[in-house]
Amino acid sequence: MKRHDVLFAYISVAIPLIIAIIFTVYPVAYSLWLSLHKIKLTRLHKMKFIGLTNFYKVFTDSYFIVSLKNSLLFTTLAVILTSVLGIGIALLLNEKFKGVEILKTIILLPWSLPTVIAGIMWWWLFNSDYGAFNGFLYSLGVIDKYIPWLSTPHLAFFSVLIAHLWKELPLTSILFLAALQTIPPEIVDAAKIDGASRFLVFKNVTFPFLKPVLQVAVIYETMVGLVTFDIIYVMTGGGPGDATSLLAWYGYTETFTFLDLGKGAALSFILATILLCLIIMYLKVIKVGVIYE
Amino acid sequence: MNKGKFIKNIIIAISSCLLALFILGPVIWTIISSITPESELLSVPPHWLPHEPSIDNYIYIFTGKIPERIAVRGVLRGRAATEARYLPLALANSVIVATSVTIVNLLAGGLSAYAYSRVNFKGKNGTFIFILGSRLLPPISIIIPYFVILKFLGLLNQYLGLILVYLAFTLPFTIWLLTTYFNELSPDIEEAGLIDGCNRFQVFLRIVLPIAAPGLIAASAFSFMFSYNEFLFATLIMTRIERKTIPAILGSLAVNPDISYSLLAACSTVALVPSLFFALIFRKYITRHLIPSLKGG
Repeated sequence: MKRHDVLFAYISVAIPLIIAIIFTVYPVAYSLWLSLHKIKLTRLHKMKFIGLTNFYKVFTDSYFIVSLKNSLLFTTLAVILTSVLGIGIALLLNEKFKGVEILKTIILLPWSLPTVIAGIMWWWLFNSDYGAFNGFLYSLGVIDKYIPWLSTPHLAFFSVLIAHLWKELPLTSILFLAALQTIPPEIVDAAKIDGASRFLVFKNVTFPFLKPVLQVAVIYETMVGLVTFDIIYVMTGGGPGDATSLLAWYGYTETFTFLDLGKGAALSFILATILLCLIIMYLKVIKVGVIYE
Repeated sequence: MNKGKFIKNIIIAISSCLLALFILGPVIWTIISSITPESELLSVPPHWLPHEPSIDNYIYIFTGKIPERIAVRGVLRGRAATEARYLPLALANSVIVATSVTIVNLLAGGLSAYAYSRVNFKGKNGTFIFILGSRLLPPISIIIPYFVILKFLGLLNQYLGLILVYLAFTLPFTIWLLTTYFNELSPDIEEAGLIDGCNRFQVFLRIVLPIAAPGLIAASAFSFMFSYNEFLFATLIMTRIERKTIPAILGSLAVNPDISYSLLAACSTVALVPSLFFALIFRKYITRHLIPSLKGG
């Protein structure tokens, strides 16, 4: 019986394992090999070993430095806002009031639709000449001239961030809400009877239950934030200038616009390393205590 | 006390209205734009409700009958319009790819998650961590090798190529979710099945799958949505326009400077229908079954 089980296990695990090997080990090795060569996408057979030159080229590229700065700022803001606002929305949805069930349903909307569509919607809303956002502010009398949201550097960055939050907030909110619902109401009641203020109840009773989810949310949002691409592609194309050029966009243009495969591969490694370091850091910083039995 | 409650209710009312506006605003405006003639959209400020609503754009997408308003604008808009005609086909492509990915996720992912949850075997922890860890690679980092692999296998512009790539992205998550889910299920009934002479595979098919249905639905929701929404690889692997998926078609429509805004809005509206449908059906399962996995993981 036992031997059959082990055989069953090996057969069952084989398919995902093979897929993971083909699509992980080989790509990583191939990328590393590419990154050490001078190679153009249009002339794949002509390559020359150049050592670490590609990495040097990336680090000294001013466009890379700007993209790195943009990406770090973008990801930091996105992670903080999705966590803080996500907890806020979860607390709201955890209350009992008329319409809360409808709210819980519609909040899944942005999450379920393709990011490209989210990008198109916000690009259209923020349109400098005809956008509804401009029209709205204009009708209210807040502005007397349309604001070029997507062609002013700081505003374009802000607009892209808003679109990103619109897409990402639902998931973190739902995660935090699900965590809130695991809190036994007796504990909260007991704390209230003991005279704890609302803030103290949140800090000492509610928050520990949110921590494991916070860890997952922060790691997930970092991964999503650092590789943000679809929204940039649709809304700004990295512009104006390099104001919304994020790392993934930079890698894409290096590879498919400038056709420099070696440099693109070197950048891939740098991006993967940054991500790995951040994840390890998070796992150390946000320690999850044992709160479940 | 009563005053505090009053203030709390006001805060709840205001913040839930703001939230609803923030979430629904862009969607509603897109739907309105899709039935509004372009001239009304391009006025300052735009007409919030169309004076002459029309569904010409939708008729065009599905039948190819060119709306008069676009025809008037001349040859320039022709190309954008042609791409939009591929939307129904893209919808079919997306559904074919996403459904296949989901089915394989349930069978192959479910089976291996079950093995990870129930059987002790050599290399269990190592392979588990390896499979999960493979998901941490940023997609943009491995896009070139993926392209090369698929070209080598002759799978560019093939459903199977895109399906394989999406499996590589979704299987780790499915396995993680389902392993923790199976860990929470009691193995007692399965033991009974084993004693009755079923082998593990039969037990998995006849006993485990039906019991674990809610967890499987949550897992399939995630893999379906990932596959339906993915843009970068779909654009790169499916270069022929008749093989493009929904996000890829919309991506190329969106960066086309000649596209009519209301037609683009109509295309977006058509594309978001399946997502909405899916989110509504699976709402219950997704929230309820994420938390057990977070606890275990």
